[in-house]
Amino acid sequence: MNYLNYAGEAFLLIPLSAIFLNNICNKRFIEKHFHILTGAVALLQMIAAVFAFYIMDANQMLNFDFSVFGSSKITGIELFDINPVSLVFLFCIGMVAFVSVMISIRTIDVKKGSYVNLLMTLLIGMNGMVMVSDLFSLYVFLDVIGISSFVMIAMFRSRKGLEGSIKYLIISEIASIFILMGLSFISMKTGSLSFKDIGRNLLTNTFELQTILIYAAIILMIAGFSIKAGIVPFHSWLPDAHQSADTSISVLLSGIVIKIAGIYGIYVLTNIFGGIKAYQVSLAGLGIISVVVGALLAACQSHFKRIVAYSSVSQMGYILLGLSTGSTLGIVGAVAHVFSHAAFKSTLFTNAAAIHEQTGTLEIDEMGGLQSRMPVTAFSSTIAFLSTAGIPPFAGFWSKLLIVMALWGSGNQILAGFALCASILTSAYFLRLQKKVFFGKTPEHLSSVTEVTGSIKFAEILLTAVTCIVGVLFPLIIIFLHSRGLI
Amino acid sequence: MNGWILITGILIPLLGALLLPLFGKLSGKFRNIMALTFVTTAFILAVCALTGVLADKPFSARYVLPLGFSFGFLGDALAVFLAMTASFVSCIIVIYSFGYIHEYENQNEYYMMVCLFVGAMMGLVYSTNLIAIYTFWEISSLCCWRLIGFYREEITIDRANKTFIITVLGALIMLVGFMGIYSQTGTFDLTEMKGAYIPSWCVVLILFGILSKSATIPLHSWLPDAGVAPSPVTSLLHAAVLVKIGVYAYARFFVLTFEINEAFTTIVPVIAAVSALYSAGVAFRENDIKRVLAYSTISQLAFILLGLSCGEKIGIIGGLMYIMAHSVAKGGLFLCAGIVEHNIHTKDIRKMGGLAKTMPLTATAFALCACSIMGIPPFFGFFTKHMVIEGIVSSGNIVLGVLFVLCAVMTVMYLIRLFVKVFFGQQTFSEVKEGTPIMVVSVLILGIISLLLGFFSFLPSHLATMIWGLM
Repeated sequence: MNYLNYAGEAFLLIPLSAIFLNNICNKRFIEKHFHILTGAVALLQMIAAVFAFYIMDANQMLNFDFSVFGSSKITGIELFDINPVSLVFLFCIGMVAFVSVMISIRTIDVKKGSYVNLLMTLLIGMNGMVMVSDLFSLYVFLDVIGISSFVMIAMFRSRKGLEGSIKYLIISEIASIFILMGLSFISMKTGSLSFKDIGRNLLTNTFELQTILIYAAIILMIAGFSIKAGIVPFHSWLPDAHQSADTSISVLLSGIVIKIAGIYGIYVLTNIFGGIKAYQVSLAGLGIISVVVGALLAACQSHFKRIVAYSSVSQMGYILLGLSTGSTLGIVGAVAHVFSHAAFKSTLFTNAAAIHEQTGTLEIDEMGGLQSRMPVTAFSSTIAFLSTAGIPPFAGFWSKLLIVMALWGSGNQILAGFALCASILTSAYFLRLQKKVFFGKTPEHLSSVTEVTGSIKFAEILLTAVTCIVGVLFPLIIIFLHSRGLI
Repeated sequence: MNGWILITGILIPLLGALLLPLFGKLSGKFRNIMALTFVTTAFILAVCALTGVLADKPFSARYVLPLGFSFGFLGDALAVFLAMTASFVSCIIVIYSFGYIHEYENQNEYYMMVCLFVGAMMGLVYSTNLIAIYTFWEISSLCCWRLIGFYREEITIDRANKTFIITVLGALIMLVGFMGIYSQTGTFDLTEMKGAYIPSWCVVLILFGILSKSATIPLHSWLPDAGVAPSPVTSLLHAAVLVKIGVYAYARFFVLTFEINEAFTTIVPVIAAVSALYSAGVAFRENDIKRVLAYSTISQLAFILLGLSCGEKIGIIGGLMYIMAHSVAKGGLFLCAGIVEHNIHTKDIRKMGGLAKTMPLTATAFALCACSIMGIPPFFGFFTKHMVIEGIVSSGNIVLGVLFVLCAVMTVMYLIRLFVKVFFGQQTFSEVKEGTPIMVVSVLILGIISLLLGFFSFLPSHLATMIWGLM
């Protein structure tokens, strides 16, 4: 179990030491090699996640408690906890961070040192959040994520960036206050905030505890985490923030931050309130509204990154639908969709970076006919779009199918059918995007555009391969999950 | 046993398709030959699977996965029948493409998509799992999206998007129907649910998918619009693969596997009748050669659907054989239309005329194929059309029988109108030459096969009777 301890600590200590390294080294040296430092951290994180998963699986453990700096026996030092679900999240964090680094090599020219500091702080926040074992520590790490995100959006001091950042700051802090209030209500009623104490059984099975205070806590916390996840009707900050930030930062925000700060929070809530009917119904309602409205809003945007951002809103809705079932299959589907969404959404933002680098614009009305000029970007964006729309055999199809099967199994047949047919809206806005950007006539000023090179191209190819391979080999994942008794 | 033959038959065109762009970078000729090789391999392996069917030991492979998923492949009579027809016509279309497509851009993508299309068709017919069928179904939608949008102009992209949206929406609704079946039976595996009764709402949802793919009214409008694609592509969509997927699925689900409500033996023929009459009527009014042929396809597909849905042995056998007759003949007609369009650069039949003098061979092939579609004896189309109508009459539905006879008469009329306008009359283009040898030979092969199959119609009829035996 020693190895697992190291792996668990690594998720927090590696980014922390990278911050030290970044600040004590010669500034010039770091500016030149920042991508090696951050890339290595992201890679190490992915390796540690896979390694820990392997060990846990070999020992048939479902969770592992540890603490950083000291013994876990001392009272007052809260435990960290890793389990297979949090390892999947940790792997996704590493993957998206790696993509962000790949993009930043081309897009970030100044303030590389700050980028490293903030990225590492963000990593600590996200890693901490998925590993904590009580609600209050969750809240602390949630604000670490929030604060580093605001600064990252505003970092380059463009007017738009500041606007998006302030909007995000205000709305997101309201969410934090909601969550803090919600957890204090829970604490008042149950006397504990540890996941072990207030697990599913306590609140679901004890009817005396289901008072108005707990329902208030449910409302506040769902609202808070929905704001963080950009669920409709709490989504207004998301497109502004994602559009105004540098692409290497929007890929982090859309690819992983909304999922950790929002969806992981709701996943934790599902473990606490999962058995309560009102909770399930509100998640399902929010989910289906998000799926439809997000997709419809995406269909009328004219900025590449806004389309992709609204698409995230829509896809978060599917994850919420999966979580709303409360069944194992639903949660497996939701977690699988987190992974496939991380892969295809990162691809789309990488495409945005490539197009912005080569053409200098992201307004889709100003583009056209780029397919023959940027074949790799065109191909990878097509695959990502098919995966988003849930077209087999790509990764997005399987996760969506599991979610729909879970919904169907939990008795929401009509909702399941509706959610499935809503995928057509996804196809609609992506067909529009494809047509405007990659087909049609090339405008004069874009006639000399060539394919992007270097790290962005590498990231595009890598992510497309991930989407395809996971999609084709998904039956193996089903066999694996079945053999472990999960589905 | 021998399941690997089926799996290779799927994987060679599917994976080969992904290699074609790389081959294309080396040399165009090499890529073309490899594309033909992959498609021909699919045909040869289908013929190998036929030996299994004839020996009454169909090839199969099956790996069961949890949750009712499975990898199941079965080369029974229906699957092999469709696989052989589709891959054979596709071979001819690929050969024809060598002559037609060589002057355009995007050739790498073209051959890749055609090959992928054939692979998807093979996968679809051999699979026995609903999720696998859905997967290949969507791969075919994807291919036709790229192929219809081949010319990359504004209008072609719009039409391609329209096709994609309609067929994918149909497929999604069908998937909801599959979920309904899954909740009843607990499995997606077709071999396990043979003879299961499925509720009518599932049938209706699945029919959405089938009708959207087979371009039956009211989900037909994408098919005539898809005529903006290059002619070999339209030929592929109409004859070899795309629209046949829908009728195949009907035969596989509702004829061979599931028990459904009796009422559908009336409802589906009525839909087919409306579709047949409406589209035959529209075919009179159209002046675009490819749109006339497209509406003719919609009308003929209604005949196939009628045959399959009437519930009588002779009708079902006739419907199955009509799939083959229509594939060969309609494939030939579209390829002929392609030669005409390629040489005189217009699709408007009012501007054509007298082409029989300058293009005698194309005119002959066109006439042969058209005779088969019209149902002139002794062409293959005659026998199959006769059996379909006999099926509906013997099921007691005289009114529908009369309507379909009327439809058959209308088919004769609009095809003769088309033929006369294009090939007879005043010669408007004087400087027109015959198509390239490779293109003319391909259409002649299809025309002659239409005629020969009429004389040897006992061969496909033997196979179709075996399909009946599967019930």
